[in-house]
Amino acid sequence: MRHHIENRIYHVEILPPKQDTEKLHEDLELFTTKYNRVKESGYCACITDNAMGLLAFQGPEVIEELCLKVEPSQVMIHLNTFHTKANLHEILDTCVAQGIKYLLIITGDGSDRLPKLTPADVGATDVQSVTSVELLRYIAKQYPGKFTMGVAFNPYEPQEHEFAKMERKMAAGAEFVVTQPIIEKNAIVDELLRKYPDVPVIIEAWMSKKLYLLSDAVGYEIPEDTEFDPIKTLKQIHRDYPDCGVYLSLLGFKTQYHLISDTWVRE
Amino acid sequence: MKIVVCIKQVPATNDAKIDPETKRIIREGLKAILNPFDTYAVEEAVQLRERFGGEVIVLSMGPEKAALSIREAVSVGADRGVLLSDRAFGGSDTWATSYALANAIRKIGDVDLVICGKQAVDGDTAQVGPGIAAHLDWKQATYVMAVEDASDDSIVVKRMHEDGYDICELKLPAVVTVVKDINTPRIPTLRGRLASEKIEVPVWKPADIGADLSKIGLDGSPTRVVRTAPPPPRNTVTKKISGTSAECADALIKELRLRSIL
Repeated sequence: MRHHIENRIYHVEILPPKQDTEKLHEDLELFTTKYNRVKESGYCACITDNAMGLLAFQGPEVIEELCLKVEPSQVMIHLNTFHTKANLHEILDTCVAQGIKYLLIITGDGSDRLPKLTPADVGATDVQSVTSVELLRYIAKQYPGKFTMGVAFNPYEPQEHEFAKMERKMAAGAEFVVTQPIIEKNAIVDELLRKYPDVPVIIEAWMSKKLYLLSDAVGYEIPEDTEFDPIKTLKQIHRDYPDCGVYLSLLGFKTQYHLISDTWVRE
Repeated sequence: MKIVVCIKQVPATNDAKIDPETKRIIREGLKAILNPFDTYAVEEAVQLRERFGGEVIVLSMGPEKAALSIREAVSVGADRGVLLSDRAFGGSDTWATSYALANAIRKIGDVDLVICGKQAVDGDTAQVGPGIAAHLDWKQATYVMAVEDASDDSIVVKRMHEDGYDICELKLPAVVTVVKDINTPRIPTLRGRLASEKIEVPVWKPADIGADLSKIGLDGSPTRVVRTAPPPPRNTVTKKISGTSAECADALIKELRLRSIL
């Protein structure tokens, strides 16, 4: 992951088609276009796993079904705890077969339709429910050396609690960190960088102008009339965090993509 | 084992409006989904086929777009589906609906087991499964939470009730309705979804199933909905707890204990 930062490789979020889509073929075509564009740009395509609890097809199966080419350093799969054990292994086995190396392990957002891994599924005896920590530990044990796994960091959670969780994630085998979106320099992210100077940290940059969605993501109300220019904010993030990578969430492929190539400039 | 799963397409909303004249849900403009309880019925049928072999056939009655729900069931493992669709079926109550479905099950032929979700989330009657059993004069078990065993001529189920459960053995053919506890429905794969788009869903009319027109639709429905009304609004009171995190936690626990929630 350090290689991504050194070579200014953006992490670009791509949402796979939703399960309830009525225009599946159109959505698959759009996914293909975005995936290939990210790949051709030399960036890393980050494919979500039922983001916001909305049921979607899994990244690895979409890649497999559409016969998309995988460049191992250019694909990151999000993987959460809302799966059956069989389904989890299916996803991981598909990743291995395709040469996908990067996983972002998150606890995730559930929904009524989604099953949840049980502690017994992942061999955890000391917890009531499975979080990213247990999932990370399980994958590290079941697929030794196959994946480079990262975890999420939420600077909007109570600091003490979030850092204690980060300790557990690191002990379970996390090798990089992706933050929740920030729109300005964040003291808790700064603390994360101080505590883990050797761990690659990827800052999530919010590229949508829909601030109510950002409020949902971060868990506190951002006033709708807040002046917010995603590209300007992205440039500022690079200035504030020159040694971090950047994850672009909800990037507009039509309106913004062509603008990002010259945003990551080292001063 | 030849299994028929009866499914229903329902509005995907809790905010459905009722037509004041017909007293029926206004379905126009509402997104339609497979009745959530039916997903458990489909899953159980697919698991039984995986254990004992056989075939899973999905059966539904509704407008032509209900074929989408049949395809959804096929995308998670059902083998094929049949849709009953005709204006003559419109307005059928649970008795007329179960009559039509029972006729279709006879036409499919050699069916060992019919599985239904315990109820549809739009009507909430839980009557169609038992109605099918009555029309076919088959054994039935409702609120099934587990299928313990099955053989060529019988099935053993765990049936949930308020005080626990019963273990029941039913001679086949039989009808069961299932509850959410029975399994975890699988999520459709992309491959399954794409394959389901290619199947043909035959549409059967009343004549195809030998239905007596006086027993289906509004005319064949003994139930008359006299009045419908939304439930009264809940009188909720919001109480804000303030203080330090520890104080808030203590106060919250106290409130919950006072209300016997904890």
